[in-house]
Amino acid sequence: MAIKSYDVVIIGAGITGTMTAFQIAKYNLKVAVLEAGIDVASGSTRANSAIVHAGYDAKEGTLKALLNVKGCEMMEGITSQLGVHYKKCGSLVIGFNARDLEELKKLKARGEINGVKGLRILSRSELLKMEPNVSRDAKHALYAPSAGIVCPYDLAYAVAENSATNGTDYYFEFKVDKIDYDGKAYTIYAGEEKVKAKYVVNAAGCYADEIAKMIDDDLPFEIIPRRGEYMLLDKSEGKVAKHTIFVTPNEKGKGILVSPTVDGNIIVGPNANIVDSKADTSVTEDGLDEIAKGARIIMPGINLNAVITTFAGVRPTPTSGDFYIRESEKCKNFIHAAGIESPGLASAPAVSEYIVDILKNCGLSMRKRKNYIETRTINGNCKLFYEMTERERKEAIKNDPKYAKMICRCEMVTEGDIINAINRPIKAKTIDMVKRRTRAGMGRCQGAHCRTKVAEIIARELGIDISEVKKFSSNSNLLLGKTK
Amino acid sequence: MNKKLVIIGSGPSGLVCAMTAVKNGISASNILVLEREGELGGTLNQCIHNGFLKNLTGTELASNLIKAVKKLGVECRTESCVLSLSADRVLTVISPSQGYQKIKADAVIIATGCREQSRGVLSIGGTRPAGVLSAGAAQRYINIEGYMPGKKTVVIGSTDIAFIVSRRLAIEGAKVITVVEPKSAPLSDKKNIKDCLRPFNIPFQLNHNVTKIYGKERIEAVDICQLDKKGKPIKKTKQKIECDSLVYSCGYTPDVDIAIEAGMRIKRDTKGPFTKRNYETTIPGVFVTGNAHYIHKNIDKILKESVVTAESVAKFLQKANQPKKEKKNEDNAHIDRKNQE
Ligand SMILES: Cc1cc2nc3c(=O)[nH]c(=O)nc-3n(C[C@H](O)[C@H](O)[C@H](O)COP(=O)(O)OP(=O)(O)OC[C@H]3O[C@@H](n4cnc5c(N)ncnc54)[C@H](O)[C@@H]3O)c2cc1C
Ligand SMILES: Cc1cc2nc3c(=O)[nH]c(=O)nc-3n(C[C@H](O)[C@H](O)[C@H](O)COP(=O)(O)OP(=O)(O)OC[C@H]3O[C@@H](n4cnc5c(N)ncnc54)[C@H](O)[C@@H]3O)c2cc1C
Repeated sequence: MAIKSYDVVIIGAGITGTMTAFQIAKYNLKVAVLEAGIDVASGSTRANSAIVHAGYDAKEGTLKALLNVKGCEMMEGITSQLGVHYKKCGSLVIGFNARDLEELKKLKARGEINGVKGLRILSRSELLKMEPNVSRDAKHALYAPSAGIVCPYDLAYAVAENSATNGTDYYFEFKVDKIDYDGKAYTIYAGEEKVKAKYVVNAAGCYADEIAKMIDDDLPFEIIPRRGEYMLLDKSEGKVAKHTIFVTPNEKGKGILVSPTVDGNIIVGPNANIVDSKADTSVTEDGLDEIAKGARIIMPGINLNAVITTFAGVRPTPTSGDFYIRESEKCKNFIHAAGIESPGLASAPAVSEYIVDILKNCGLSMRKRKNYIETRTINGNCKLFYEMTERERKEAIKNDPKYAKMICRCEMVTEGDIINAINRPIKAKTIDMVKRRTRAGMGRCQGAHCRTKVAEIIARELGIDISEVKKFSSNSNLLLGKTK
Repeated sequence: MNKKLVIIGSGPSGLVCAMTAVKNGISASNILVLEREGELGGTLNQCIHNGFLKNLTGTELASNLIKAVKKLGVECRTESCVLSLSADRVLTVISPSQGYQKIKADAVIIATGCREQSRGVLSIGGTRPAGVLSAGAAQRYINIEGYMPGKKTVVIGSTDIAFIVSRRLAIEGAKVITVVEPKSAPLSDKKNIKDCLRPFNIPFQLNHNVTKIYGKERIEAVDICQLDKKGKPIKKTKQKIECDSLVYSCGYTPDVDIAIEAGMRIKRDTKGPFTKRNYETTIPGVFVTGNAHYIHKNIDKILKESVVTAESVAKFLQKANQPKKEKKNEDNAHIDRKNQE
C-alpha cells in the first residue's frame, strides 16, 4: 500500500496539536494528526484546572506572557463558533496580609505590562460581596475580569472535530517511535505503520523532548513531569464560588484554587509534585489531604464530603520556564511546540496562530480552503439534549425518538446523544470517550446506573459483543466473560 | 393531557400506590404510572434472591405487583422519563413512543427510589482503571446482562447489597477475596453475614478499608489497611492484594433531582423531601413515598408507607373536589416520627 503523504503532520492531539490542526484546516492543505492515545486529549489537556488565565502570572516579555493574553482574548470567539462551554467568570487572587498585598500589586503591575485589561485590587468588603464564602481572614484580592473557564477536553474535541470535518486525518493509537528525514520529507513511524510529511509540528506535551531526540535534536531544557491532583464536587455545591479563586502565588507556583466549572460543579486543586513517570496520573491519599487543606484556606466551610470524583494531570514543566515554539535548529520544516505548561490551555489559540506563522515563514504556502465549514460537523455543532431549549428538544425528539430515551439520569444524557457521539467525525468507541463527549456517567452516581446501558449502545453501534467494550484502552475491558 | 393522579416510578412503592389509590376510589383511568426504564418493577427486577415479603424473590414480587396493577386497568408507561415538575404540577415527560409531552396532574406521587452513592471510594488513592464498580452495577451485570464484572473480587461495604452481591459472585464462580468495612459494626443485619458470607468462606473484616488501587488499564491489586479508632489507616498493617475487580457499596440517597429542581424543601439528614404528616411535600398536591422519601430498612416498611401515602392522596383529591373547602394544610413543623427511623 502506498504511504499516505501530507503537507503537515502534527504529533500529539492535545490542545496544542488540535488547535493547530483547527487553524491549518482553514487552508487548502493535507494535514494529519498522530496521537498515541485512543482519543483526543489523552495527556495534560484531559486533566487540568480548566482556567482561561487572564495573563498576569507570566513574566513580562516572555512568550508565555504574549501568547496567554492573546489566547485569552481569542477564546470567546472560538468557543462561540464551535459551541463550547466557556464562561468569563473572572478570577480573584486573595491575600491575607501586607506581604500578600505587595505581591498582588506586583502581579497587577505585571499584568498591565502584559496587556491584561481591567485588573483591580479589591478591598475585603468588595471581595466578600463578590464571594461571601471566602475566608474571613482574606484582606485583599486582585480581580481579573477577563479570566474565564472552559471545558478543556470539550474544547479539544471541538477544534479536532472541526478540523476533521474540513479534511484533517486523525490517527489514534499511533505512538510515534521513529522519524526519518531525507532532506525533503519526513517519514514518521509507529511500529509498522508510517506516514510522510513535508512539515512536522511536535506537540507531544510531556514527550516533546523524546520526539525531538528522534531527529537528533536536543531541546535546550528538560521537561519535568509535575503532577497536579484534583477533587471535583457535586453540583449541589456548584454555587459556593462564582469566580476562580487563587491564593497569592509563592515560589511553588499558583497554588491550590477553588473554581466553578462550566458544567456547574466545583473543582478543587491542584498540588504540584514531581513524579517519576510522565504517565503517572494516579491520585494519592497525601495529595488529596494536601488539596483539602489548601481549599480550606480559601474557603473554610467548603463541603469536601460532596466530592464525586478525584483525578490528576501531569504538567510538562520546562526547566527554562517559558514556552519553546520554534523551528528545529537541526532539521528544516520541523517545528517544536514544547514546554507548553500552564497556561497552555488559555494560550492555545494564540500558540496555534504562532505555529501557523512559523510554518508560513518556513515557506509553506497557504491558500484559503474553499468550502470551509465553520462548525464542528457538517450538521452544525451538535448540541446535547441537556443543552437544548424546550423547542430544540421537541424538534430533536420529533426527528429521532432516541432523543426521548434517557440513559444517564444524573446528567440528562439521552440515547440520541450517545449515538451521535459514537458517529461524530472522531468516533467515540469506549465508555470514557462517550463519557467525556456527552457527560454520561459524570454525575453524582459516576456511571453506577448507566454504564451498562452505554456499553450496550456502543456494542450495538459498533457491531461488537458487550464483553468487548472497553473503558478507555485496549486492555480495559469492562466485563470478564459470561456468567455460568 | 390531564390526569387526576400521576405516579412517578414503578418500583414496589409506585405500584402499591397505584393499587391503593384505586381501592380508595380514584378511578383507574384517572391514574398514570410513569417509568423511566424499559420495564416496570424498579430495582426489584435485579433482585433474584429470596427474602421479599414472606419468601418471594424480588422478581416474583415485582411480577405479582405488576399483574395486580394491570388487572385494575391502570395505565403504566415505560421508557417515559419525567424531566421536570412545576409548582402547579405540570410534568414534562419524554418517551420514544409519545415524544415530548406536558401532563397536568391534580396530585403527584414521587416514587423514584434511590441511587447508590459513590462517595466513600473516592478518597482512595491510586489509579482509575476499569473493574471498579458499585454493587448495584455489579448486580445488574450479573443478573440482567449475564456477564461477570470480575473473577477475583474485593468488596468494600457492609450493606445488604454488598453481602448479597458477594454471594452472587461466589455462586457464579468468582473468588471473593474479602469484604471490608471501614466502620466498627456492619450496616446490615448480622444474619446476612451468616447467610451470604459464611457458606462461601468469604472473610469479613471490620475496621478495614482499601487505601490504594493499582493497575493502569484493568485493576490489578489493592492495598488493604486496618484503621485506627479515628478511622486513619495503620500503615504497618498494609497488605497488597491481587484482584481483578473492586465492588463498593457506600449506601444510598433518595433519587429526587426532580423534587430539588421543583424547589421542594429537602431534609438535611435524609436527603429526601421534607413532608407533612400526610406525606405531602412542600409543594401542595405533590407527595413522596418509598426510598425517594428516605432510605427504608426493608421492603415491608416501604409497602406499608406507600399504602398510607396513597390513602392520604385519595383524601387530598376528595377535598380538592369539594368546591370551596380548599385543602387546609396540616401543621408544617410537625414531622412524622416514622420518617426518621
Ligand atoms: C495540573 C495541571 C493544571 C493546569 N491548569 C491549567 C489551567 O488552569 N489553565 C491553562 O491554561 N493551562 C493549564 N494547564 C496546562 C495545560 O493543561 C497544558 O499546557 C496543555 O494541556 C498542554 O497541551 P498540549 O497539547 O501541549 O499537551 P498534551 O495535552 O499533553 O498533548 C500531548 C499529546 O501528545 C501525545 N503524544 C505524546 N507522545 C506521543 C508520540 N510519541 N506519538 C504520538 N502522540 C504522542 C500524547 O498522548 C498527548 O495526547 C495545567 C496543566 C496541568 C497538568
Ligand atoms: C474542568 C474539568 C471538569 C470535570 N468535570 C467532571 C465532572 O463533572 N464529572 C466527572 O465525573 N469528571 C469530571 N472531570 C474529570 C474527568 O472525567 C476525568 O476524570 C479526568 O479528565 C481524568 O480522566 P480519567 O480519570 O477518566 O482518565 P485518566 O486518569 O486520564 O485515565 C484513567 C486511567 O487510564 C490510564 N490511561 C489513560 N490513557 C491510557 C492509555 N492510552 N493507555 C493505557 N492507560 C491509559 C491512566 O493512567 C489512568 O490510570 C472533569 C475534569 C476537568 C478537567
